[in-house]
Amino acid sequence: MQDKHIVSSFDNDLEQIQAKIMKMGGLVEASIADASNSFLTRDIELAEAVRARDASIDELEEIINDDAARVLALRAPTAIDLRVILSVMKVSGNLERIGDYSKNMAKRTSVLLQMREIDNAASSLRRLAREVELMLKDALDAYIQRDTELALEVINKDRDVDQMYNGMFRQFLTFMMEDPRNITACMHLHFIAKNIERMGDHVTSIAEQVVFLTTGERPSEPREKDDRTSYDVKMSLDTKNE
Amino acid sequence: MSGDGKDMLDTTVNKMIGEKPKITAKDVRVVYGDKEALRNVCLDVLDKTVTAFIGPSGCGKSTFLRCFNRMNDTIAGCRVEGSLIYDGQEISKHDPVTLRARIGMVFQKPNPFPKSIYDNVAYGPRIHGLSKNKAHLDEIVEKALRRGALWDEVKDRLHESGTGLSGGQQQRLCIARAIATEPEVLLMDEPCSALDPIATAQIEELINELKQRFSVVIVTHSMQQAARISQKTAFFHLGNLVEYDDTGNIFTKPSDPRTESYITGRIG
Repeated sequence: MQDKHIVSSFDNDLEQIQAKIMKMGGLVEASIADASNSFLTRDIELAEAVRARDASIDELEEIINDDAARVLALRAPTAIDLRVILSVMKVSGNLERIGDYSKNMAKRTSVLLQMREIDNAASSLRRLAREVELMLKDALDAYIQRDTELALEVINKDRDVDQMYNGMFRQFLTFMMEDPRNITACMHLHFIAKNIERMGDHVTSIAEQVVFLTTGERPSEPREKDDRTSYDVKMSLDTKNE
Repeated sequence: MSGDGKDMLDTTVNKMIGEKPKITAKDVRVVYGDKEALRNVCLDVLDKTVTAFIGPSGCGKSTFLRCFNRMNDTIAGCRVEGSLIYDGQEISKHDPVTLRARIGMVFQKPNPFPKSIYDNVAYGPRIHGLSKNKAHLDEIVEKALRRGALWDEVKDRLHESGTGLSGGQQQRLCIARAIATEPEVLLMDEPCSALDPIATAQIEELINELKQRFSVVIVTHSMQQAARISQKTAFFHLGNLVEYDDTGNIFTKPSDPRTESYITGRIG
């Protein structure tokens, strides 16, 4: 790790702000897991807990941003210190968004549990969410250990998430075409899947911050996007019309 | 504040014209007696650019600055080796008096002559015969004081003693004195270390204006100052030039760990 600052209170400031990021990350990881589990196990209370937890996540984001502003004003950080501050501001924003998506999933869960079940939907969503949750864990580990390799692995994994989401999108579309009574549930399910896919993008952004933090550069290669649903809608409709 | 965008533009322009160097240093080595103060320094000072030298005390940055106008000649036992080219010629071959008119210097402590404000500024143009007559000299003095951002404060008391001014005003007087001979390069050795923040800001604003016409090389212990005013930064450590790059790079992603340790305030 880095040498210590001559002014040790500067080290304290930086450590504390990063500890808060880790705390926030822990809450968000739990929210993803709980939100998808609540749907799988039809546990309304667990879904409620996710919605309640979002307030603490939002609060942490504000605290982190205030702390970051303080360090910028009082310490005038440069080089690695500056990158730490810039990255915590971005990462806290990403985590807050992921938290919001989890909360949204929990809200929809409460609604979905009143409706007829769609085959395999809960377990597929759980699998997708699990993938994102693991990516987030790796991204946060990479952040705290300054592990560029691990961060790059996370960035590459986003493609799997995109592909999984792609498959689910088609599946929901099929269900809706088969029986219009599925439409309401499938629309909710699709929003959940799309939100989890977006979480993956935010996790990727966190991993990109790790690369920026350790190297001072953003990851060079543009990521290939595997979310092809914008084309698939047309394809599916075309197939149906034939 | 308006300087930021302009600075970036200047850097780009420098790149476009191939960053023509004003002074070229190659393998410069400076020895005091048997102590080596500086070794193997290669660096180009660019035209119309502010270059900052930073580094801990005793790293050789002031020593290097003083090579540019042969100030080290006056120190007994000091030897400068290697090559320093200014205006197509070795600096050691230039006449020191004319050289110092073209490469002016401002020191850490304001050192006005114990003469009137007017005479302080008129001194250089007089000894170098730059003025045709009294009216022309008045003009030169006024121009230098205006460019030194001091004119409005002293125009009604030009014949009072320069030493009666405040610290910040004295320093701006010294800068006006240095630029009265129309130098091409202005060397500044910690020009703001004895000044309050307002006077410092005025000098920094002045440096920003001066760089439209001159090269400015500034030695500073304030890294924030280097970051604010320079386009190029050189970091010296234990007599070595460790890193020389665009100021933006030095302060966001320095390539040498020693630079990083120094600018972030770590023990390196």
